[in-house]
Amino acid sequence: MQSRFVGAVYVLPAFALLLLVLFSPVGYGLWFSLFRIQYGAPTDFAGLENYLRLLDDPVLAGTLRRSTVFTGLAVVFTIAISLALAVWINRLPSRIGFIVQMIVILPWIISTVVATLLFRWVFVSDIGLAGSIMRIYGFSDIQLLNSPGSAMALLIAVSVWKRLGYAMIILLAGLKGIPDDYEEAAKIDGANSWQIFRLIVLPLLKTPLLLVAVVLTLSNLNTVETPLVLTGGGPGDATRILPIEVYERAFVNFDLGSATALAIAMFAGNILLVLAYVRLSGWKA
Amino acid sequence: MNRRYILSAIAAAGFGVASMLAAPSPVQAQTKTIRMWTFLSATGTTPREVALSQIIKNYEGKNPGTKIVVETQVWDQMTPKFIAAHRAGNAPDIVWAITDFLGDAINSGSLADLNALFIKNWPATQVADHKSAYWDLTKRGDKQYAMFVSPNYISILYRADLFKAAGIEPAQIKTWDDLRQAAEKLTVRDAAGQVTRYGYAQAYSEQQTDPHMMIPYVLGNGESIFRPDGKANFATSLGIEAMTYATDLVTKYKVAPVQSATWTVDDLFEQFASDRVAMIQGPSVRVSTLQAKLGKDKIGMMLWPGSKTMTHSPAVMAGWAVGVWSKSPNAEEAGKFVDFMLGGESESIWVTVGGQSPLMASTAEAVKSFVDQPGNGYIRVAAEGSSKYGWLTPIDFNVGGYRQALAKATQRILIEGVAVKTALEEAEQRFNRQNNR
Repeated sequence: MQSRFVGAVYVLPAFALLLLVLFSPVGYGLWFSLFRIQYGAPTDFAGLENYLRLLDDPVLAGTLRRSTVFTGLAVVFTIAISLALAVWINRLPSRIGFIVQMIVILPWIISTVVATLLFRWVFVSDIGLAGSIMRIYGFSDIQLLNSPGSAMALLIAVSVWKRLGYAMIILLAGLKGIPDDYEEAAKIDGANSWQIFRLIVLPLLKTPLLLVAVVLTLSNLNTVETPLVLTGGGPGDATRILPIEVYERAFVNFDLGSATALAIAMFAGNILLVLAYVRLSGWKA
Repeated sequence: MNRRYILSAIAAAGFGVASMLAAPSPVQAQTKTIRMWTFLSATGTTPREVALSQIIKNYEGKNPGTKIVVETQVWDQMTPKFIAAHRAGNAPDIVWAITDFLGDAINSGSLADLNALFIKNWPATQVADHKSAYWDLTKRGDKQYAMFVSPNYISILYRADLFKAAGIEPAQIKTWDDLRQAAEKLTVRDAAGQVTRYGYAQAYSEQQTDPHMMIPYVLGNGESIFRPDGKANFATSLGIEAMTYATDLVTKYKVAPVQSATWTVDDLFEQFASDRVAMIQGPSVRVSTLQAKLGKDKIGMMLWPGSKTMTHSPAVMAGWAVGVWSKSPNAEEAGKFVDFMLGGESESIWVTVGGQSPLMASTAEAVKSFVDQPGNGYIRVAAEGSSKYGWLTPIDFNVGGYRQALAKATQRILIEGVAVKTALEEAEQRFNRQNNR
């Protein structure tokens, strides 16, 4: 009987800290979102009014659609490229592999704002580095930030570039955990490289792949720095995604009621997504 | 015995050190820390940051018991954050509040009455010296909730060297047509027809947006961009005319770059500094920084063109007002510093070192010879504009987001080809919806 509680006692301090740091703001936010907010303070109880206002907002559906496209494409490209890199690095001699790893990790350890500003300076119309190079070679200036489609593509590219290092490290660790015997046995049985990768490596990478997919989805869905610095949500509404919507409601319009309601809705969406991932992949710890 | 002696000695020494650390030194005991939120850094090198640093140094030199700690904030989030911090009970002692949220800051009860803190001790002449539209904006009855430190007159900044080369005098630009013609004359194309320098530009990114040039156009013709109930009043026939004028500079006359649809204010200044644009919409407070980069003789400021009824159209005066947190435990000391920071001695520093235009009549007189020096004429232009042709955003209702709404409308017109009327109607709806109106 006593031993059943020993484990609980050990995790209690960490759990209490987690509750305080992570969940108390969520609880406060949930409570806050149920009130009318005036000058930053809750006044009258409003029930679901702030949430219903979100449903009435005609631009929010478009924002949700863009968020889905941005997150989906960014996650797919990041996983595909990082998996290819991880497989390649795993086959390199250890010293070269280490150097390549360091290069790929670099964007991940740079501050997001700094990294995004670098991209903005490269691609900003007229005085950007990319435009200057194009002009030197006789091409007309490229204006990626001025076209709705290319602005979104650039936003996705920056997001992929920024998170590639993280995904690659996790997948590489997964690859290194696969015993060489499996590959050797498969080769003896006559399997080619693609069959080994598809039938042996990929299934054994399921857990790291799921982890990477969950973390990348959440980080892309909730990123505000990259779109804010790179495009400001523009041109028009082309790169306006949910975190920008929350930011603008809170800090531009000072509408803390609907900003909090939207943030809570996003939080709920995040949890549902994680549960869906785990369920769909049949993941077991 | 020997061991006990050593342990006793260590314990005694420990108590001694602990008591020395615990007991405040005479200086520490008297030092009071005043926290101030501003967008300037006290260790920065721009003219206004140097001015602030000098003022703080002067104050601390005269008040050795007070330490002013500057906590630099992002400018467009600072005032909402302050109001939220007021509710949470951990706001700084002093805040610089932007005009867009000044009404919210006052109505939330977050700002103390400066009259009760220090203005009541002023002689009537000193009060009269401060009075202006800025003063009235922060006054409610007999209470003064903030005082402006940084009057920001937003009109046209021009490259004086390029004007001279093109044979244009700023005084010749009296109408909006004159402005367009000057922009045409200043636009330079290479042999292939590519524009190498634009006559005029404004940044239309939604990130850290300046007020739109259609605002002075509308105001100069006697309308407002807000209705009395706080709803947006963008899509009127005059508003459409004004927005058409601004976008025609890009699409019809090609004297302004389409790229500016996504430029931030910082991008715009880069273009201006690198000879790519001859005229930009810009604030008076940035002139000194630009002059420090390019040379004093190269940057000038002029008022907006006029209309049939006005010599010059009113410009948006954004500016920063300084207030003391109403729940500050150091309100008295904070008020004392605010009094010093906005007093005559400090305002001379704000003008001569920081490059700002003066707010007080006495300062304007005291720095007359400085203003008369070459390159400082913009200070007189901004002062004249503030006194005769200025417009302050209303503070009876929240206007947060109006600049972004108009910037987005411009993006929609320039990039997506949306009709001006449609874009302005959408901007109106968006602003009204976001502000629950």
